[in-house]
Parts: sequence; structure tokens; C-alpha cells
Amino acid sequence: MRISVEVNGRAYEGEVEARTLLSDFLRHGAGLTGTKVGCEQGVCGACTVQLDGEAVRSCLMLAVQANGRALTTVEGLAGEGGLHPLQRAFHEAHALQCGFCTPGFLMSMDAFIREHPDADREQLREALAGNLCRCTGYLAIIEAVEHAAREMRGA
Amino acid sequence: MASGAGLSAGRLVGRPVRRREDERILRGMTRYLDDIDPPGAAHVAFVRSPFAHARIRGVEVPEDLEHALGVFTAADLEGRVSDLPVQGFEGGRVSAEGHPVLAGREVRYAGQPVAAVLAGSRAAAEDAAELIEVDYEPLEPVLDARGSDVTLSHWHKRSGDVATAFGTAAHVVRASHSLPRLAPVPMETRGAIASYDAAEDMLTVWVSAQDSHRQLAGLAAVFNRPEESIHVIVPDVGGAFGSKGAPAPETMLVAAAAITSGRTVKWAEDREENLIASYQGRGMEAEVELALDAEANMLAVRARIWADLGGYLMPTTAIPPHTTAMLMCGVYDIQAADVELLGRRTNKVPTGPYRGAGRPEAAYFVECTVDVAARELGVDPLELRRRNLIGEFPYRTALGWTYDSGDYARCLELAAELVEPEHSSDDQRVVGTGFGMYVERAGGLFETADAELQADGRLLVRSGSSPHGQGHDTTFAQLAAERLGVDLEDVELRFGDSKEVPRGVGTFASRSVAMGGSALVQAVDGVKRSCLAAAARLLDVDEAELEWGDGGRVSASDGRIVTLRELAAVERGIQASARFESDLVFSSGAYAAVVEIERATGGLRVLRLAAVDDAGTIVNPLLAEGQVIGGSAQGLGQCLVEEAAYDEEGNPTFASFVGYSLITAAEMPPVAAAFVESPSPLNPLGAKGIGEGGAIGTPAAVANAVAAALGGVRVDPPFSDDKLWLALRGQAS
Repeated sequence: MRISVEVNGRAYEGEVEARTLLSDFLRHGAGLTGTKVGCEQGVCGACTVQLDGEAVRSCLMLAVQANGRALTTVEGLAGEGGLHPLQRAFHEAHALQCGFCTPGFLMSMDAFIREHPDADREQLREALAGNLCRCTGYLAIIEAVEHAAREMRGA
Repeated sequence: MASGAGLSAGRLVGRPVRRREDERILRGMTRYLDDIDPPGAAHVAFVRSPFAHARIRGVEVPEDLEHALGVFTAADLEGRVSDLPVQGFEGGRVSAEGHPVLAGREVRYAGQPVAAVLAGSRAAAEDAAELIEVDYEPLEPVLDARGSDVTLSHWHKRSGDVATAFGTAAHVVRASHSLPRLAPVPMETRGAIASYDAAEDMLTVWVSAQDSHRQLAGLAAVFNRPEESIHVIVPDVGGAFGSKGAPAPETMLVAAAAITSGRTVKWAEDREENLIASYQGRGMEAEVELALDAEANMLAVRARIWADLGGYLMPTTAIPPHTTAMLMCGVYDIQAADVELLGRRTNKVPTGPYRGAGRPEAAYFVECTVDVAARELGVDPLELRRRNLIGEFPYRTALGWTYDSGDYARCLELAAELVEPEHSSDDQRVVGTGFGMYVERAGGLFETADAELQADGRLLVRSGSSPHGQGHDTTFAQLAAERLGVDLEDVELRFGDSKEVPRGVGTFASRSVAMGGSALVQAVDGVKRSCLAAAARLLDVDEAELEWGDGGRVSASDGRIVTLRELAAVERGIQASARFESDLVFSSGAYAAVVEIERATGGLRVLRLAAVDDAGTIVNPLLAEGQVIGGSAQGLGQCLVEEAAYDEEGNPTFASFVGYSLITAAEMPPVAAAFVESPSPLNPLGAKGIGEGGAIGTPAAVANAVAAALGGVRVDPPFSDDKLWLALRGQAS
């Protein structure tokens, strides 16, 4: 099947099988390997991308479901002006180690904070519980996300 | 702690330097194994045993297997590959039953690879694999280490007068312990890509691994090829925790398929394969007896340990239980010991090193026994520990290891202070505090580094150690730049390519800084000496008149200065190699936990943790704290939710993240972390190891806190609601 999607502001057209997962299309079709696949069961959150600004698990969607829509992946998170506040905060707080889960955390939390700009620490922790990390023990991630949320709401 | 500098802070060493590796990760520019997509590669899917134990009567491959480019069974590999090699340990008898690449006549665990299919895509390979028929004759599985009559490893050591100590002791305390198997679960699963150049007879293997060295040695042994004819490349690695140290049978099949087919062959496993077929951790039981005199001084320890090793010995399967056995005196001055280890064959996937690798088991067995003793003797658990801690170093234990350094009492006092102990009980909930101390064997063997001054005056260092999330690129650059007096940007590190880096040992056993870092500073010192000699020639002065200054400027007593860049221009090929060797170093620490159990449900909440680690010199306190908290989270996972359980037929119940849970940000309690820095005398940095302390100290501390909250009733992890609910009612689960 032929699909056309916008990824990080760029148009992609391609032929996909009906069973092709969105994660596989992004990684192998569009060559955007920043999106990682950790379980293909929708649990670990590593494959999270944004579909029309909303966080989705790209391993639980078919590529054809994204037809005609706009996607953002980790490669599109940093703007012209440099790293996104979450990216800067993750670096500063040492909120990443092996880095495999990091793109999923960034894409989930960017969407969450934009939708809930006033989320408190407990709400941020709850939101973070949708992504698994095996290296950091999460505390630095919580710190980074709180910091970035403050910056994103301009406080 | 992380925001400040370490006790031994220099210009860069001891400082919380932010990582150089982060930006490319944050921008999604990493290349893990599955991000490498060689054009035209064939993909492998494995046919795995659905039975825990069965005889294979035959494997039937359909004549015209659609889309398949090749099929491999044990018969196809016969005479071409050996089983994986097995590593033994000092004083032990270890069977030579290595893991076969593919099962021949028998399968010994559910998930064992029996055949492999090669196709143009992973999906096509999986489709074809489903059409292969294996005729199994199911056999009775053995699932309990104590009940198994096949002993794969055995070790027994007696030292001191154990019989007299127990015969004359005022108190003898007995405790039984059991730790379930755990899955290591790196977020990136395992995988390998292989290609073979027949003209050059060169086998190239990209593999998600902890280092290139052990993969190379494994490939050489299994294929009986000279190491020079194998090239191993380790790309970015998304975590390992021990599970990517020993080479996998699947990697061997990928290499065999590349050699046979002449194609580039790729295998990137899915999560189910990772959970059921990666070697697992823990799976040990112990009966421990402690003899104490009337003043609560520990006189002797007697222990018998059973290890559930699984169906075969992976290269390092036998090692963790031996580590447990050797550490059965813990941090205490106990002069007599009698410890026996029985490593048993069972019909489960093999065990092997998983973060802590035998040390969490020892800490759990010893520390929980100490708390049982404290309760039985009516002594405060902190006081019982204080009375028996080793205080002088070096200290040779009754079991034969020499602890090089430490300040165990300081660690304990600091943990007690940081955790703010709490004990209470009302009709809603019970609250308790527990402590767990540990001593960790780290380092040992040797490690290598090459340092080279490049034409632009920057330093290039190739290290035998290699990263999979720890931050070597930053930590090692700090060490080199500090030594040379230059900026971090003036140091470039390379890792993980066997054709490029010097032959070394690898990244495990919390050994990177102590061993790899020490080799690195020795290589940098070698470059520095050559630079001084070159500067002396250039300036025509005696070396003794030269001074090494900031920015790597060498100045003569008459004020003339020469930079590294100028030296590199006149003297090509300034380089030095180092191989650093040392005995084991012993990190240590004290952990403490406060837990709360809800009476109505048995639900456990860990309210807070204190983590005090003595890893000697800390090069980067920010990254070291990251290791501590990450390790604690794994230890906490073991306490709360993690268990790789098999049903009564030997089927894994943990084939997905639904059957095997990890803790999330919502369950993580606050951790108060601190470092005590007693330098090791065994290396130039004074470093020990920090990679595993959190995973070692946490389970013992939480278990003792749970027992304290339950008024002395003991249960083994995971501390599930149902177990604790029954324990609150004084019933065993």
C-alpha cells in the first residue's frame, strides 16, 4: 500500500505492506533509527513518537494508520535554536545512561508537559511510569523532567 | 553528593562532569546493533524448544520452504562448530558441559535453539521457521536445584577450627534463604550481524556485547579459527548488566550462517527471546549457621549453597555461585568457615552473571542471618554488626580472599544517619528499618590501553575496556586530560573494535576504572615521558630542567615553551601502550531501608533508601551516583516484582513484560547516597568499583526492613502482597 506522511516537517512517501508497523516504517522505511524498539508489546515505551502532536507507541500502530498525518520523532525534537529543554535537562541531571530508552522518554514527556503544563511532581511521576528504563533508577529522570516542565511553562 | 566534587577532587578527576556521550543519544543519532541495516542482509529466526526437557527424534524441513534462503540444524553444524567453552574457578570441579550452538538429540530448557532459518526479512524468516516440524519426545523436567542429581560444579572449603567453634559457642543461629532467578532485561535486546570474506578468510561480527574480547575468544574456540581471522565490532550497546558478556549460542549460529551462505546475516532478537533465552541471574538457596560467643562475637560460619545452573554451563555460569561462596564471611571478622557449593543442572535456561553476579546473594545470605542472630540474641542489629566488623586492612578472610581496603564502620554509621530509622505499628500499617552491608570483589586480571599523540597535538586513547551505558568516554577522558593537563576536548577515546583496540579483558565486575582506568593513566604517563624526551631534544636542554604545565605545555627553565602540537609536528609517532595487572580489589558499603506494609492488603512500600558505597577514588561523582541509584532500582525490582518463575512443566511464565515486570518511576523511593573513599593500594588511582553496589546492598537491606516490620517473620523476595499478607497473620506462604 502506498502511504504519504510528514515526518519532522518532511514529506515521506512509500510503499508498505499492510502489516508493517509504524516503528518499522520509521526505522527502516524512512531511515530514522532514533526511534527504538524495546518490546513490540506496547509496554516499554521506547518506541514512543508523536502523531499530530500526541504521544503514541509506534510498535502498536500500523504504518498505514499514519497515512496523511504528521509525525515527530526524536530526530525532530531539537529546534533551530538548539536542544529542547527536556534534552538539556536530561544531560544536566545525568538522566540517561545507555540511552536506548531515552528517545521514548523525551517524546512521551514533551507531549505530556505540553498537554499538562501545570503537572506537579506526582503527576509527572505517574506520567513517567509509562516508560521503562533499566539503567538510571528514574530519580534523575524525574529531576530532569521537573526542571524542563518549569522551563517549558516559562517559570 | 552528585552536585559537589568528590573528596579527592582534582581539576577534572572527582568532578561531576556532564557526559560527552549525551548529545548524540538525545538527538537520536546512536547506532545500536539493530540500527545497522546492511543492504541485502539475510535475517535469522530461531526455532526454539517448547519443552523444558525432551529427546529430539527428528527435525523435518519442508522441501520447498517458501522464502527461506537456508535452514540450519545441529546436523548441518556437525564437525564445524564446538559447544561454547566453559570457564572454571580455583579449587572447584566444573563440568565441561558447554552450551551447544543448536540442540542435537536433546533439549534441556524451553527456549533452547533447535534450528534456524535464513530469509530476506525477519518477518519472512519467522514465517518459514513456523513451518519446521520438530519431533519431540517429552521427558520429565528437573526444576529444583536441591532435587537435581546432576552436579555441574562443586566446591568445598573448610578453614579454621569450625567444629570447636560450633561446639563451644554460646549461640548457634540457623537461617534458610532462597533467591529466585531474575532476567537481566537490558532495554536493547541481544543481536549480531556477521559477514564472511572467503578470499581473505576473514569473519566479521558486529555484536551487542560488553566488550569485543570475550566474543572474539568465544568465536575462535567454537569455530576453531585463529583469532587473527576474526574481527569483532561492538557498536552502541543499550545496556547489558552482565547478560552480554559471555558470547551467545545465537551469535555463533549467525556467524556459521554467514560463512555457509556467503551473505551478511543479521539477528536482532525480540523481547520474548531476550526474556526466555538470555542467561539469568541469582537462583540460589542457602542454609547458613552462625556460631557466636556469649558477647555476640562471631566465631564461625557454616553454609551450604545450592545454585540452579540450568541445562548447560554458559562460559561464565559457574562463576557467580563461587563468588557467593567466597564471600560468606561478609564484612565480618570470622576466623573459621566451612562452605560448600553445589551447582546443579536443571531444565531451565542457564544462569550467569547478572549485575552483582553472586555478591547480592552473599550479602543477602550473610546479612539476613546476622539479623536473625540479632533477634535471637536480643542485640541491636547495628550493635551486633559494629562488634564484628573487620577494621584493619589488608584482611585475609577465612575463605581465602584478601580485602585490600575499606572503612566498614564509617559506611555503617553514615547509612544509619542518612536513613533516619523508623519503627512503628498501628492498626493500618507496620513500619520497619533494616540494614544490609556488603563487600564486593571487583577488578582483577588485567586491562590494556594505547595512547597516541596525534599530529594536531590531541591525544587518542584506545582502551581495552568498553562502554554500554556507564560513560567511559567521559570518565576516561577526565583521567587522561587530568594527567596530561589538557582539556577534555583534547582527548579522544576509542573502544570496542577488535582490530583497533589492544587485546584486553573487558567490561564486567565493576572493573572499568580500577583496571581500564589504571592502564589508561599508565599509557598517558608513557606518552608524557616521550614528550618530555622530545622536548628536551627540541630545546636542547636536560629533561630535568623541563616542567610540565597546564594545557600540556612543556617549559624550560629559560622560559622557552613548547606545546604538544609543536612536539607532534617534529616528532612523529609518540605513543605508549600499557597493560595493567592487579589482584582483586574489594569495594564495600552499607545500605539501609525503611519500609511500610499495609495490614489490609500486605502491600509493601519502600519509603526511603540510604546507600553508602566505598569504591575508593571516585572519578566522576555524578556518574558514580547514577550507577548507585540504577543498581538500587534493580535491587528494589528484585524485592518488589521481579521473578523469572517456571510453571510445574518448566514453561517460562515471563515471556513478556506482562509476565516479567520492571519497576517504574512511580515506585522508586528517594535514595540518600554518599561515598566513603578509602583508596585501594592496588592501583595508581586508588579506585575500586561502583557498578554493582546498589544491586548488592539493596535486597539485603529491604529484606531486613521487611522482617523488622513483620516483627521478625522472614520471607524471601519478591515481597509480594500475598506473601506479606500471610506473614502478617503469622502464616507461611
